[in-house]
Amino acid sequence: MIDPAAPVLDIRSVGKTYPGGVEAVREVSLTLERGQLLALTGESGCGKTTLLKLINRLEDASGGLILYEGEDVASLDPVQLRRRIGWVMQGDGLFPHLTVLENVAIIPRLLDWNPERTRSRVADLLDMVGLPSAEYAERYPVELSGGQRQRVGFARALAGEPDLILMDEPFSALDPITRDGLQQEFRALQADLGFSAVMVTHDMAEALIMADQIAVMQDGAILQQGTPVELLQSPASDYVSGLLETPRRQMRAIRELGA
Amino acid sequence: MNANLAERLAELPHLLSAHVILSMAALGCGIAVSVPLGILAAQRPGLSAVTLNIASVIQTIPGLALLALMVPLLGGMIGFWPAFLALLLYSLLPILRNTIVGLQGIEPQIREAARGIGMTRGQSLRQVELPLALPVIVAGLRTATVWVVGAATLATPVGAASLGNYIFAGLQTRNWLSVIFGCLFAAGLAIVLDQAIRWLEVAARDRRRGLAIGVGVFLALLITVSVMPRFVTFQGETANLSRVEASAAPGIAGETVVVGAKSYTEQYILASLMQRQLEAAGARVERLDNLGSTIAFDAVRTGEIDVYVDFTGTIWATVMNRPEPIERHRMFTEMSAWLWEEHGIMTLGRLGYENAYGFAMRRDRAAELEADSLDDLAPIADELEIGGDPEVFARAEWTATRDAYGLGAMRTRTMDATFMYTAVRDRQVDLITAYTTDGRIAAFDLAVLDDPLSVLPPYDAIILLSPQAAQRPGLADALAPLIGAIDEMMMREANRQVDMDGQTPAQAAAWLDAGISE
Repeated sequence: MIDPAAPVLDIRSVGKTYPGGVEAVREVSLTLERGQLLALTGESGCGKTTLLKLINRLEDASGGLILYEGEDVASLDPVQLRRRIGWVMQGDGLFPHLTVLENVAIIPRLLDWNPERTRSRVADLLDMVGLPSAEYAERYPVELSGGQRQRVGFARALAGEPDLILMDEPFSALDPITRDGLQQEFRALQADLGFSAVMVTHDMAEALIMADQIAVMQDGAILQQGTPVELLQSPASDYVSGLLETPRRQMRAIRELGA
Repeated sequence: MNANLAERLAELPHLLSAHVILSMAALGCGIAVSVPLGILAAQRPGLSAVTLNIASVIQTIPGLALLALMVPLLGGMIGFWPAFLALLLYSLLPILRNTIVGLQGIEPQIREAARGIGMTRGQSLRQVELPLALPVIVAGLRTATVWVVGAATLATPVGAASLGNYIFAGLQTRNWLSVIFGCLFAAGLAIVLDQAIRWLEVAARDRRRGLAIGVGVFLALLITVSVMPRFVTFQGETANLSRVEASAAPGIAGETVVVGAKSYTEQYILASLMQRQLEAAGARVERLDNLGSTIAFDAVRTGEIDVYVDFTGTIWATVMNRPEPIERHRMFTEMSAWLWEEHGIMTLGRLGYENAYGFAMRRDRAAELEADSLDDLAPIADELEIGGDPEVFARAEWTATRDAYGLGAMRTRTMDATFMYTAVRDRQVDLITAYTTDGRIAAFDLAVLDDPLSVLPPYDAIILLSPQAAQRPGLADALAPLIGAIDEMMMREANRQVDMDGQTPAQAAAWLDAGISE
């Protein structure tokens, strides 16, 4: 049914205007190929998080078309749609009254999987994110470190076997060392499982390191879309070069220390 | 064990179970109303402001007044329902407020996570928001529990049995053991229920199924044990009845008769006396004690009670609203005719004694002021303070007396009838509105002032039967021996036995009964 060659996500001329006339997203068109990671980046208030929420209908678009696996999301039941798409939040968004196991098992339960399938899926995922279930399944979020909580967040988003996950600043609350490790692990996980992902980040270095495609946004519109290499080689505007300047300067500074 | 303690203990199963049923029913329904309302209101700021304001206003009404107000609002109905409704209203605010506060206090991020992963509104509420708000909601529930169990003691004056019966009756008959009994058991019940809820919360939080089941079984047992006595005693009494049936007069044996009493010693004694007569005729008697003065009349009018004792002067002034007193036999005749025609209430007859309002003073104080009659007080009225029970200064008799003798300058002080007599004895007030049959007039050597203008109406004690009871000749037959059988000396002595000697009303009633049979 799903065409493996077709894009997972096809966004065409989508806009979002809030009551009162504020245009958060204007005429955005994007595609996401299977197995790829798309980073939405730009300064605070540029519309990147709103665009992310239009995809799983936490917000409804005012115009344009969003096709997920070829289906118009506006024609789907929003609750059913969200169960098919993983969701990772800034911080972790875990439920503090549920154990690690229960947090991860939520979506399989919402999807009415049988207990056996749920159990093995949760155990596999916890192993994959480096939290062996024998040790971590019965713990509560408050008993975990920030990095461990974010891993549980990934496991929860992946539990329902989605082919797309949406992430809003997933690494921003972590310390730099944890962040670096987790970024690498996430890419490894994606390579293993083959899902596609859209990640919102304000950190251009993170986008350059992780993403296959980067879309730079300003005032609700996309300024430039391309691979990290394309962006670095030919930034479309001064604004884009400005954003790239920070990671470049850091790289130069480190190199000059004389390695 | 002394008789007082034994009698208090004998009442405990009935009163405690009534108290448990009343407060748990009110709390249960309070939760059923306020939790859903709180959930609705938490999402709508306008609605939450309105509901919280209404609940706050209800909360500011004193408990006793809220309970009393339910009687006229329910068309004169007394007993369980007005008490239940008032307590239910009373329980709303803490549960409602904490449900709203608990749900609104959840981080928006958590709610967004629930929505983002594909929970419906209902799933988010049940699986995420309510569990997280639970500690706050439970705190409100515990507050409501303590309030309701405490306020349920105020159900006594509207005719619902509760541990308050101990407190109200004890206060009226100077039976402090009874008052303490009521307080201790009410406080104990509040603590037990509060702790049970706390353990339920701990069980829910730590998911200790065994603990939850344990507490659940305990609460279920408490309810079962509370509801059970009603059936057990009923069967026991039915068995007794079949034995007496053969010898009893036909028409009343095996039937239930509800005897009412207002909240003072003399009423308890007379209710016990009527109970003896009715039980001797084979009837099963239920008592509704400690009714407010007008609530007792409402109760006989609507048939909630079958019989009680009131006074001609009281009906005349308070119910018929006739301010001018008339000659006592004419008053009795006119009043009986009026009650029958207006309400179908039958005046069975006069017990024989008169219990009037009288103005009583210490004998030495009266001599000092050279006062023999109310006339003598007018010139010095501004120097005097008069004590009276809660209703007397609102009654026509007081305003008529005050105006007739020019006592308007006198300061009035309201207190419970129990404390009036010691207050005048200890010179805390100059005079009191006493009841002329009270044993303490003689015991404290008080002088009753003359009423030369005959402003105070006569107060003949009368037995009133509800319209339904009036259709049961057997009931009138059983009570007939009491008519004209009790004079003032006997009544005063019976009152004295309870108020001064610490006898129970039932013992005093037995003494009266023996006197009547002679």
